Amino acid sequence: MENKIEFKDILLPRDTHFGIVKFMTRSWSPKKTLNLDKEYLPQDIKDLVLKSTYLDSILDAECVRNGVSKHQLRKEVVNYVEEIAMDKRMHVIRWMGVFFLKVSFMMKIGIFVNEPAVLKLKETMGENPVLFLPTHRSYADFCLMTYLCYHYDIELPAVAAGMDFYTMAVVGQMMRETGAFYMRRTLAGAPLYSATLRHYVRTLVGHYGAPVEFFLEGTRSRSNKSLSPKYGMLAMTLLPYFAREVDDITIVPVNISYDRVMEQSLFAYEHLGVPKPKETTGGLIKALHTLNDNFGDIYINLGSPMSIKEYLGHPELSAETLKPRDLQKLTDEQMTHVQKLADHVVTLQQDCTVVTITNLLCIVLMDSLYRNKVLCLQEVESQIGWLIKVLRSLGANVFERDVKSGIERVLTVHRSMMRLDKEKRLRLVSSALMNMTNDVQRKMKGHILKAETMVNAVPIIQVQLYINPVLHYCVPSALVYLIASRGNILKAELYTEYTLFRKLLKHEFFHLEGIEEANFNKALEYCVHNGVLSSSGDVLANRSGDKLHNRSGDELHFLLQWAVIPALTTLFACAEVMRECKKCEHKRALKRVQEITELRKCHPYCLSLDAISNCLQGLVHAEALLKYKVKNDMIYEVVPAVMDRCHHLISSIIPKLRLVFDDSNPVIVHQKQRARL
Amino acid sequence: MTENVALLRTTTEPVPRKKNLSEKNIKKSPYDTAIKVKSAIPRKRQDLLKWYGWGYKDSMFKLKDQVATFTGTRYLIGGKSLPHFVQWVREKFDVDISKPPKIPPTPTVYPESRLPKEVREELEKVTLVSVDGMDRLIRAHGQTLNDMTHLRNNSFQRVPDAVIWPESHEQVQQIVNCATKYKFVLIPFGGGTSVSGSITCPAHETRPIVALDTSDMNSILWLDREQLLARVQAGIVGQDLEREMRARGFTVGHEPDSYEFSTLGGWVATRASGMKKNTYGNIEDLIVQTKVVTPKGVIEKSCCVPRMSCGPDWEHIVMGSEGCLGVVTEVTLKIRPLPSIVRYGSLVFPDWESGFHFEREVARQRLQPSSIRLMDNEQFRFGHALKMETSWGGVLLDGLKKLYITKIKGFDPLKLCVVTLLMEGNLEQVTERETQLNNIAARFGGIPGGAKNGEIGYTLTFVIAYIRDLALEYNIVAESFETSVPWERTLTLCRNTKRRVITECRKRNVTHYLISCRLTQTYDAGCCIYFYFGFNSAGCADALRTYEEIEEAARDEIIACGGSISHHHGVGKLRKKWYTQTVSETGRRLLFAAKQALDPDNIFALANMELDRGLVSKL
Ligand SMILES: Cc1cc2nc3c(=O)[nH]c(=O)nc-3n(C[C@H](O)[C@H](O)[C@H](O)COP(=O)(O)OP(=O)(O)OC[C@H]3O[C@@H](n4cnc5c(N)ncnc54)[C@H](O)[C@@H]3O)c2cc1C
Repeated sequence: MENKIEFKDILLPRDTHFGIVKFMTRSWSPKKTLNLDKEYLPQDIKDLVLKSTYLDSILDAECVRNGVSKHQLRKEVVNYVEEIAMDKRMHVIRWMGVFFLKVSFMMKIGIFVNEPAVLKLKETMGENPVLFLPTHRSYADFCLMTYLCYHYDIELPAVAAGMDFYTMAVVGQMMRETGAFYMRRTLAGAPLYSATLRHYVRTLVGHYGAPVEFFLEGTRSRSNKSLSPKYGMLAMTLLPYFAREVDDITIVPVNISYDRVMEQSLFAYEHLGVPKPKETTGGLIKALHTLNDNFGDIYINLGSPMSIKEYLGHPELSAETLKPRDLQKLTDEQMTHVQKLADHVVTLQQDCTVVTITNLLCIVLMDSLYRNKVLCLQEVESQIGWLIKVLRSLGANVFERDVKSGIERVLTVHRSMMRLDKEKRLRLVSSALMNMTNDVQRKMKGHILKAETMVNAVPIIQVQLYINPVLHYCVPSALVYLIASRGNILKAELYTEYTLFRKLLKHEFFHLEGIEEANFNKALEYCVHNGVLSSSGDVLANRSGDKLHNRSGDELHFLLQWAVIPALTTLFACAEVMRECKKCEHKRALKRVQEITELRKCHPYCLSLDAISNCLQGLVHAEALLKYKVKNDMIYEVVPAVMDRCHHLISSIIPKLRLVFDDSNPVIVHQKQRARL
Repeated sequence: MTENVALLRTTTEPVPRKKNLSEKNIKKSPYDTAIKVKSAIPRKRQDLLKWYGWGYKDSMFKLKDQVATFTGTRYLIGGKSLPHFVQWVREKFDVDISKPPKIPPTPTVYPESRLPKEVREELEKVTLVSVDGMDRLIRAHGQTLNDMTHLRNNSFQRVPDAVIWPESHEQVQQIVNCATKYKFVLIPFGGGTSVSGSITCPAHETRPIVALDTSDMNSILWLDREQLLARVQAGIVGQDLEREMRARGFTVGHEPDSYEFSTLGGWVATRASGMKKNTYGNIEDLIVQTKVVTPKGVIEKSCCVPRMSCGPDWEHIVMGSEGCLGVVTEVTLKIRPLPSIVRYGSLVFPDWESGFHFEREVARQRLQPSSIRLMDNEQFRFGHALKMETSWGGVLLDGLKKLYITKIKGFDPLKLCVVTLLMEGNLEQVTERETQLNNIAARFGGIPGGAKNGEIGYTLTFVIAYIRDLALEYNIVAESFETSVPWERTLTLCRNTKRRVITECRKRNVTHYLISCRLTQTYDAGCCIYFYFGFNSAGCADALRTYEEIEEAARDEIIACGGSISHHHGVGKLRKKWYTQTVSETGRRLLFAAKQALDPDNIFALANMELDRGLVSKL
């Protein structure tokens, strides 16, 4: 497996006298994704949309449906187009660039890019539309690809942005002028709007010479893990391919990994149910001064471009070709292809994960928390060295220039979360006691947690957030390991149980069900090969009792045990709660799980509303729960037989290991200030 | 031309409608641009239309105190009295109009529905079903004299056992599957304007018969202003289609004289021809793609192209299939922008022959305007009989004009013929065309007869159909028939056919009759001749039989003279006799093969053309 990646910091060259201004005022003639006979400007795209047969027909149909005049409806559509459409203003781009670089230097970040991939991609551009599909972990994602394109002289991408930016004074408009286009979150019940959006996106992809960028996951993943993709946007962008307006579309999966996600503490609170403040320009300006800090490095890893023509094969003939091309929609079959493709792209994004020192350090820290044992710097270093080997053997890309300086950097970046004490031992810093005002309590989404719970829950969740993006490498092995550790088991049986767990955790750990058999075999082989499981014939067993095992084996046993504890514990709590109440609405289930988790002092990540929801969905997916809607409430109902089996199975493999996170754990240091959101 | 007032649907929407259909099924329509058209014709047709005759209930000829009037306000002559009419009728047919008209009583008993309950329930899962007697009776027939006679006597051997109203292609598929499963017969019913007996229930069918009324399939699925195409569901009624298109600045331009009531699917199934075919084409020229549900699956071509070379064109198997192979559900049609100017015109010729040579010359030079028709003297005088009391102004043979034509030009009023013209385009085009036509007319002794005469001629087209009801009420049986004929044989065909009809009448002691013809369409290779024939049947034992014998003789004559079995009415059941000789025995076998391939169980057992022969229903 090729784990060595060449990354280059694209901010470094700007760090000179006048570097920023010089760079942002240079003449700039970017490479385009499409070389059509006519070059379409943003305004042309709008005109094409407004003049389209599609919208004309939709308008005709709508006026008959609701009796409003076509003229009136057309006005509505014009407004929608104005709301949606992107623009390009060179002077705004330059000013924004200056601002971006200034802030970047203030944040002391580095932006590491696997340059060869970018250059290769650029080389092949010009033939057909390109889609950038980055992971979405932070608002910062919005600027990164744009800056990268500016840096490499690639036409700035048209980026799909949510309405929260649109409503931000000035910022919304400036983002638009650097290529953002806006889309509303829900299209249901607004047929005219969704038709306009659909046609705008389609026209943009088919005619505009810039990459089109959007986040498949639809929202920032609060957990730092991949989310199940949303299909709508991908379907819209691929329509020109299915309608043969373009010969091919290149999809570029992109993974953006952060040493420190700006929003980490917000996210941690959100997991616990403390609501996020609304994005406003004022808020952004206020937040600006908090950016005067160390945010470490960002890694932009472009995956190999993928030709959808190659992936899907030439689109087959459908009844849709009998319509005017403008009116062509995806057939059900094509929609299925799009969904599969979207799922696949998410795994490609996962494959592009760059494991950073932050991830490694957090794993080491969590490990030491589980062991109730403080590690000194040397031990930390050697642990990290060991982890790199483990992760690489599991297929991860680990980017490490120099572990020692890396640790130093990360400790500065994350000094409010972990630090070296006087004896140079790695410690977790608990957060300050939060002032649980009535106002905060009223706004809490779930169970009202105690301030004391949050003191440790917040930092531990934050640490977990940096472990999460690496987990997909270990989850299959961890599950195989845990199931086999319960006692001797036949391979076939192991596989059945394994798939059940994968199902139950499908939403917690995104994966493709189609390739699970291969994943299982790989995981099993890994466990056997690394000596944590023994296999004789078709029977597998845990080898921890073996005399043969060495230190490394022991570490691995431990890692595989705790890797899925938060997920399994949450799942177990969900199963218990549902068994106890039989039938219950979503919100109540969330509260109840949080409540018992808090009561039992389970792993704080089990308090995460996100994780609880995922586990409930998993139980639905495994058919242990029925899910239906009554009015506006989502209701779960237990399917007793299946639920009992799941409950039993989960409890049978949950490791006995417990994370102690009160004062008795020597790894935690306490701090005595008030917390600020 | 009077625009028909769009009437709101008068039927109450049935409540339990399609409750079995899941939401999903409805959402799945592949057209989010569909426009459901509010039809001028309600689902309960009998609320608006005569059950026993032609057209709207409120529109009919009436004779009162020796004066004829036309009721209602839908047509130009509506509400007007027609002072010359009675005299004309008397002279021509010798009828005693003092007798009260024979208006048939509304039937009180209807044949029992033979549709088994389980089948009905099965159908109700898909669509609205009615077994109401009147609903069934009015869908048992078309508009032939034969149909009318049986209708007025309530003597049909078979009427549909149920009527259904599917709304979409998908529902038609489900229905056809259901028919295959439960072995019942389906008759696609469009507007019921068929004049070939094609829609008439096959008299000897023993299986249950379900009339599949297409009128609820009348959405415009999409319209492309750029490509000038529209996809329309096949049940749309002509006037609805045209009204909707015009509201959007377009026209299909397909206007058969029945277009107020006939449907797109009916046009396709009968290979209809519209008045303005010179500009817009006949139905086969207008269609770009059709979708048809047959018991063996859907037949359609996979692309929407102007022309292709790919073996025989199966769309032509569908066109003219007269409902026997399946149901046309969706059609992609050409549309045209509305012309800026529509101008009528007329030309007067001393006799039929000079008028004919004029028409021939116009066709040779391909200078036909949207419509060009030549009426014979008989028809010209009939038109005169329909003159309204209030002057139409400039009517032919009035005042000075009459003087000019008969005295100065020396035209014989009992011989002269009139050509009516309908021209469309922009001002320049129309003016130029008019000049060209006038110049050609002059070469054949024709003189301009004014725009008003032309307009009246076209307006009357739509009211003429109402006369038959009046005629029947006074024992006059009448019908029209038409043919397609090469130019060189036209004159002899017209002469011989008229002669033959006269001879046949005499043979049967029919003394008062009308036989008249007009030349309604022109092509490079020939033209369409349209005959009207009617007679006073007071002395006949079986008026229908007498009529049919004479028409049969006339058709034999037509065919002997080199004319065809039909130009646009189709074969149906009335003209089976000449089907095989027209297409050859081999051709007939090909038709059977198509039937075998698409409908082996004879679900669509309409028994048109020769499809009754040798096909035994499998039940
Ligand atoms: C007064 C009058 C004037 C007329 N003028 C003209 C004229 O100018 N030009 C002309 O061409 N014809 C004319 N006709 C004949 C008639 O109107 C046409 O044949 C017309 O196309 C029939 O359409 P419809 O919808 O009424 O069909 P129907 O009478 O309901 O049915 C006719 C046949 O088509 C089949 N059919 C109907 N819909 C479908 C479908 N969706 N799928 C498959 N099969 C179907 C039926 O089963 C039947 O066999 C005239 C008739 C009358 C009474």
